[in-house]
Amino acid sequence: MAGFGKSPWILHYDASSCNGCDIETLACLTPLFDVERLGVVNTGNPKHADIFLVTGAVNEQSKSVIRNLYEQMPEPKTVVAVGACACTGGIFRECYNISGGVDNVIPVDVYVPGCAARPEAIIDGVVKAVQVLEQKHRAMRSNANRDQTLYLPAELADAPEILALQRIAYRLHEELYGGEENVPPLMETLPELTEEFSKTRFVKAVVNGKLIGSARARPNEHAAQVSRIMVHPYFQGRGIGRRLLAEIEHALQNDVKRFETAVGGKSEENIAWLQRQGYRIVQIMPAAPADTSVHLQKERA
Amino acid sequence: MNLWIRLIIYLLAGPIVGGLLVGWDRRISARMQSRLGPPILQPFYDVWKLWQKQNLVARRPQNLYIVLFLLLVIFSGALFFAGSDLLLVIFALTLGAIFFVLGAYTASSPYSFIGAERELIQMMAYEPLVLLTPIGMYVVTKSFSVHDIANHGSLLVLALPGVFLGFLYALVIKFRKSPFDLSSSHHAHQELVRGITTEFSARTLALIEVAHWYEIVFLLGWVYLFFASRPLLGVCASLGAFLFVIFVDNVFARLKWPAAIRSSWAVALVLGFGNILVLSLLQG
Amino acid sequence: MAPLPPLLILLPFAAGACLLCVRSDALRRILVAMVTLVVCAATVLLAVRPAAIPNFRVSINRHWLDLGTLAVEVAMALYVIYVGVRAKRPLIVAIMLAQAVLMVWFECSYGSHIEIARNLFIDNFAVIMALINGVVGGAIFLYALDYMRQYHQSAHPEFADRRPFFFALLFIFMGAMFGLVFANNLIWLFLFWEITTLCSFLLIGYTQTDEARNNALRALVMNLAGGLAFAAAIVWFYRKTGSIELQTLIASRQSLVLLPAALLCFAGITKAAQMPFSSWLLGAMVAPTPVSALLHSSTMVKAGVYLILRLAPVVAHTRVGLLVALVGGVTFVIGSLAAITTSEAKRVLAYSTVANLGLIVLCGGLGTAEAVWAGILLIIFHAVAKCLLFLCVGVVEHKLHSRDIEAMSGLIVKMPQVAVMMLVGMAGMFLAPFGMLISKWAVLKAVVDASPMLTVFIVFGSSATLFFWAKWMGKLLQVTESSERIGNELGAGEFIAIYGLSIATFLACLFFPLISSRLIEPYVLSVYGQSGSFSHGNLVIMGLMMAIVLLFPISFVNYGRRANIIKTVGPYLGGANLPGIERFAGSGGVAQNVTMQNYYLRELLNEAWLSRWGAVSCAMLLTGMVVVACL
Repeated sequence: MAGFGKSPWILHYDASSCNGCDIETLACLTPLFDVERLGVVNTGNPKHADIFLVTGAVNEQSKSVIRNLYEQMPEPKTVVAVGACACTGGIFRECYNISGGVDNVIPVDVYVPGCAARPEAIIDGVVKAVQVLEQKHRAMRSNANRDQTLYLPAELADAPEILALQRIAYRLHEELYGGEENVPPLMETLPELTEEFSKTRFVKAVVNGKLIGSARARPNEHAAQVSRIMVHPYFQGRGIGRRLLAEIEHALQNDVKRFETAVGGKSEENIAWLQRQGYRIVQIMPAAPADTSVHLQKERA
Repeated sequence: MNLWIRLIIYLLAGPIVGGLLVGWDRRISARMQSRLGPPILQPFYDVWKLWQKQNLVARRPQNLYIVLFLLLVIFSGALFFAGSDLLLVIFALTLGAIFFVLGAYTASSPYSFIGAERELIQMMAYEPLVLLTPIGMYVVTKSFSVHDIANHGSLLVLALPGVFLGFLYALVIKFRKSPFDLSSSHHAHQELVRGITTEFSARTLALIEVAHWYEIVFLLGWVYLFFASRPLLGVCASLGAFLFVIFVDNVFARLKWPAAIRSSWAVALVLGFGNILVLSLLQG
Repeated sequence: MAPLPPLLILLPFAAGACLLCVRSDALRRILVAMVTLVVCAATVLLAVRPAAIPNFRVSINRHWLDLGTLAVEVAMALYVIYVGVRAKRPLIVAIMLAQAVLMVWFECSYGSHIEIARNLFIDNFAVIMALINGVVGGAIFLYALDYMRQYHQSAHPEFADRRPFFFALLFIFMGAMFGLVFANNLIWLFLFWEITTLCSFLLIGYTQTDEARNNALRALVMNLAGGLAFAAAIVWFYRKTGSIELQTLIASRQSLVLLPAALLCFAGITKAAQMPFSSWLLGAMVAPTPVSALLHSSTMVKAGVYLILRLAPVVAHTRVGLLVALVGGVTFVIGSLAAITTSEAKRVLAYSTVANLGLIVLCGGLGTAEAVWAGILLIIFHAVAKCLLFLCVGVVEHKLHSRDIEAMSGLIVKMPQVAVMMLVGMAGMFLAPFGMLISKWAVLKAVVDASPMLTVFIVFGSSATLFFWAKWMGKLLQVTESSERIGNELGAGEFIAIYGLSIATFLACLFFPLISSRLIEPYVLSVYGQSGSFSHGNLVIMGLMMAIVLLFPISFVNYGRRANIIKTVGPYLGGANLPGIERFAGSGGVAQNVTMQNYYLRELLNEAWLSRWGAVSCAMLLTGMVVVACL
């Protein structure tokens, strides 16, 4: 609906920034850039805010704070990560105390690169966030109850978001398996993913207009290869993963008799989780480098 | 003009006029600060956006108080424009303001708590100034009724200059402008996060904003009352008072609360009661 | 109908005497309940009677009656002197001695010559006071049954259980109050006046601690000073006019009786704890709550303002009246400001009582018809609302073991019934469309007509009152920790009393036009020939406001099944919220609770400074009043 984006109120939070991006953000309020002419107001209160502007990389102390502030913002809301550190962790990415960018904690909608990000770029980011806001609002208007998780078949247009989610959700595997190159989900590119769509069924989980979970299954003659069941860290622990798996199995249950999946040997929690969903280990095969690949199976109900 | 027509105009046009005035307020303030400022219709966009957001609360009972607050603000404005007893109008407004404060207390959050306490301090500061106005008008016109006062022949402000100045002082406090934005600030500023409005969101916040619009219109109507015998002068005076408040807002920084109470009570005593004393002596 | 007034006076005395002997709690409950019921019914009957009561003529030999009253007075005087000697308070002894000597001399010299037309005089005003005494007093008695049992069993087992004595005194006091308001014979009035002083002294010192004893003695000496003035007034009045009847005093020529009227006003001011005599009321709060409610907010102190309002026609438009009004005004402002600075619940209520009495004294001193009408309205509404508040605070004190307002945080969850009643009481004290606001509105109208400068007191005082009531209300509604509802909030007696008074508050508000037109206005008309009243339009508007306010209880309903429509996410604590209500991660990650304490404005207002200046200025005003009256 027109007019929703005419009054974007911002909550500005400094995760662990050097304050460079913060100063640039506040510079937007000065007469030179005057972002108030767009209706932007810097409220310090999450309950009043539409756009969550985060600067700085995320350290341990910031995680709970960011999550809490995000939770206290009413829908529809968008998140803008301002500056290199907020996007990916920047030059501090490898530090022991830094978990990376903001998207590891909450779903991010707009990334504004730069070190420090320039006010023009920040304003540009805010304008994009406003567009996303309007999109979300349109998506939400048909949905009478907010905060409800919708499970829908994913389309080709969702591919970029699914890829972005993949990068976030599998980040912890990087440490576990000693490097990005050992984690196939992190190495997948957009063309590869786009190609997958022709052969694979995708299902997505959407909350308040934002894609926060996904699963896929590729059907063969008699079995379907289930893979990439992922949920954004902020939404984990709510049963969304289980429901995604159930959805994709339900979608293919008339086509195949068996569901198969393979998981890296070091992902013990995932293996246990799969077993709880009814999968049995059928084979453990060696896989490079110095690792195993565990294959699990489940008969169709 | 017929009573019912007046009331309907107030009910429907009041918030629109109030919203436009707030829009002008932000624009003029911006220009004073060498900025462009938001569009004039910005307050309406704000309320429209807020209306469609999800309503988050700190504690469940807190929102109803705001509904009662809005109802009572509209009610007192309606009483005023219907020509009723000025004292009753003040009491109804005070009742509404108390509901607002109680809503903030119910939210049980430290920021809304401090905002509520400071709002009470603000009320204590402007109450003498506001109560003085009907008393002063009674001394001149022998009536508390808005209808009688408005139809009184003479220009009230000539007999009540001190009371008028006191009322302007109270206006700055009631509009939550510097130097008296103790409990919550408008838009550009933050005072203790958002002070008394911290824990309200979405529709409730929109209602608070709309109540503020009604209040603006009704308070400026009060300024008009001082000039009622010359309508054109009255309208100019009302808008002039509004500009004056904006000007004061941009020039001054926030006062500490002891200074706020001391200065307002001093103004009430010296200017307000001084005026009334002189009047009673002159009347013999 | 005729025997009702004497019945109302004598029955409580008799009941008091009986209760002195009753040791069993069950029997006491039955006796108290029965007598209370009878008294309530009698006062209500009195109020709705269709025609004026014929004057009650004493059929007993007058000589014996006079001798009897003298004997009682002398006995009381001897007791007080004994108390004064034992406590080594020469002032008490001196004043009581002077008073006793004066009265005995007066009785002996003139006793046989005095002609009394009417000993008792019942008009609407007396009926109103009797209603308050009977109904509000009755509610307090029922409350006291449960309260005192808990007081001695769990709250304060260290104090000796002297409940027979306690209840006897309460009933004796009630009888004395009835006598006070019905009496036309000034000597009888004086007798009942002194009985209330003595009851107050004995009840304040009930717990027999040092603090209680000191406060009781202070109350005694201040009230005795008033009593001395009263006695002097009687003597002077008789010397000037040959009569000792109140109605004659009221009807006399101003210049003739100004001095006695001034002295009686002085007596009323001490009884009503106006400045500089406020300290006795503040100190009286050590007594158990029923005492505070009955004596020190609803009834006894009302006797003081009752007398002043009776005398209003005499002091109207005189300098004496103006000075009395100024004393009331100063007390109102200072009392209201001082109430902001304290966090002890009963102290706040005491200051508020003193302040509101000051407002009534202001009306009395002003003396116009409108002012008296407003003053009587104030008496009614204040008695009901303040009593309700005291009773609730008493219950809270027992359950939470604290009198501090800060301890009452979250009461709406811990004790919802009592919290709601307290909110009703507090709203009744300062919010439209409730009673006290209506009365203040009436006062404002009356004052602005007569003397606009006096409005300065009302204006500043009411600004202050709104602050301390609103912050207390907020404290009750705040919830900062998860707490359980305290079971068994109210005993049977407490329940009846508190609910009854809340309903009375509401009914009084709803029916105040009726009360005004049927009870108050006839009285004022009879005295002045004109009266204040409410216009019809204003009544409609008040009705509308009441309707809006009645929407308020909906907020307690936990509405919103669909959680997504209104979602609770907790307060904003800088993002550091921890699970649980109002906990956050402080520095070092240590979990801390949120604590919120009210503002007491102690940088701006100093209680001691306020008391001192209030006392000094009012002392000067009172001296001026007496001097002016002598001239």
